[in-house]
Amino acid sequence: MARDIKSADAKLSHTAALILHAVDAGFVYGFSIMEMTGLPSGTVYPAMRRLERDELIRSHWERQSIADAEQRPPRKYYKLTPAGKSTLEASRKRYPLLERLIPSEEAKSV
Amino acid sequence: MTPGFMPLLRLFDHALLQAASLVVPRSRRAEWRQEWQSELWHVRRTCIPTDCVSWPGEQQVISFCLGAFQDAFCLRRQTLPMRLPRPAKQGSAAQCILALCIVMLACYVIALLLPGVRAERGLMVGQVNPGLVMIHNAGYSDDTSPTIRPRQYRMWKARKQQYFDGFAFYRVESNSVSQEPASSGANVAAWGVAHASANLFVLLGLPLRFADPDRNAGDGLPSVILSEQLWTREFSAKPHVAGTVVRVGKHIARIAGVAPNGFWKLPGKVDAWLLEPEPETASGAGYVVAHLTPAGAAEMWAQCVHITAYGPDDSEDDLLGVSIEDYRPGPWSIYLFALLLALLALPAITSVSLGELTVSPQRTSWSRRLSRWSFLCTKVAFLLPIVYFASLDIAYAFTTPYSNASAYIQLISTFGFTLFGLRWVLRDQRQRCPVCLRLVEHPAQVGQASRTFLAWNGTELMCMDGHTLLHVPGMPTSWFDAQRWLYLDTSWDFLFAGSLGD
Repeated sequence: MARDIKSADAKLSHTAALILHAVDAGFVYGFSIMEMTGLPSGTVYPAMRRLERDELIRSHWERQSIADAEQRPPRKYYKLTPAGKSTLEASRKRYPLLERLIPSEEAKSV
Repeated sequence: MTPGFMPLLRLFDHALLQAASLVVPRSRRAEWRQEWQSELWHVRRTCIPTDCVSWPGEQQVISFCLGAFQDAFCLRRQTLPMRLPRPAKQGSAAQCILALCIVMLACYVIALLLPGVRAERGLMVGQVNPGLVMIHNAGYSDDTSPTIRPRQYRMWKARKQQYFDGFAFYRVESNSVSQEPASSGANVAAWGVAHASANLFVLLGLPLRFADPDRNAGDGLPSVILSEQLWTREFSAKPHVAGTVVRVGKHIARIAGVAPNGFWKLPGKVDAWLLEPEPETASGAGYVVAHLTPAGAAEMWAQCVHITAYGPDDSEDDLLGVSIEDYRPGPWSIYLFALLLALLALPAITSVSLGELTVSPQRTSWSRRLSRWSFLCTKVAFLLPIVYFASLDIAYAFTTPYSNASAYIQLISTFGFTLFGLRWVLRDQRQRCPVCLRLVEHPAQVGQASRTFLAWNGTELMCMDGHTLLHVPGMPTSWFDAQRWLYLDTSWDFLFAGSLGD
């Protein structure tokens, strides 16, 4: 089914734009996004489902060997798709304060 | 909070996730559960220190787990719309017929289960002989009162008749019925006993239960036939009751059988029939049942025949013979009568027009008209049995079989169901697209009532398959007095791009 939201002109809600921005900033799993944005789990995870459905983000499971080495369960990571990057660029113009909310450089260095 | 609670709280957190996972569609449940359990592990590690207990931390964890329900519902909503029935099916002709079929089957099954309906059905199988009339004095308005003297009956029976070839007489008395022939009858309950001529049951052609003709041979005792109610109460419903000698009033009689429940439709409340060779001349008035010859049947008019009989002193008696069927019509007769009344009353509550006028001059094709009429006939064909069985269900659900109350309830319910059922059939038909027979939807009010005489005012409804628009005038005028259909051409297709593919 074709969805207009995939285009760069798509209008995201502030929450969706914030989550997209957080993923781009390096917060690549659900709990880290919760911590960074301060949003509850009941908001973050459904928003991520919708972003994934609209093919703005993509998920993949961490390799089991890495998780085993660190003695923890494997995590599901999210990353932006090319359509997500375009949409994020458009949403930055719409929500210019997003940049200040999430310190992307710091996150990327973690 | 003590450390002993920790495993319980962990268990509770996992239970929350398990419960939420049940909302997630099965195909995505395993992966969803794995992700949330993994996240829970990290949340717990971050929020709760390893070597101590923290209530605020546990609250955060529980709050995190509760968010899983919102996520699960979101995932379900994303998946579910594909499973929903297509809107094109809603309001279709097939759906309507299916619903009617289900209702009819439900009413029929309920009717099969009700004992009253089964009893009536059993009676309809064993109908009384045709051509029977009940004779009473025409001077009495109440035809349920006994008006014929035994002397008159004997005289008619003795004479050669042109219109009748059989007579039977009975009169009803209150007598005791006792199993002990030597009993005096004191302290025994009184029952309604019909003292009848011996040929009454033969003339009526009614079957008897447990009848054994060999038992009566040779002893000269009169026969008595028990009603099912009396047989149950006084004889404990014993199956081998035939042949037992009992006392009925002052008579000693032998039981010849049990009459099936509710078969007696003639006047008089009777619990037992004492069949005597000849009625006592000195006794009171009674009833006479007569069987018509073909010449007599030809004289019947409106289920009645007028008779002039000459008495012993050459006096003329004006009598009336009424068909036995008229004394208590069965469910089928009541149904037909109520159906006729409802058909007559229908134009009073709705227009009988099918509303097939069109705005455009084009005529509807034969095939479309045929399918439209077939659909209408199918609906009526389903409605009629629904009304019959539903009225029986109501009539016999709370009343005893063969009571007058059940007949009245059936009459009223059949009338009401037929009237409003046919009204629904016509109204439904008027709101179905002539092309696809689907109900038109999305009513839109167009115009203003105050401008009725200046511009169009009414309601427009649309076929969701894009075939037609229905215009219903808000107020009938001389130039627009009934609803009209507008057939949509291909220029309208863009509006229905989503539904036309269905």
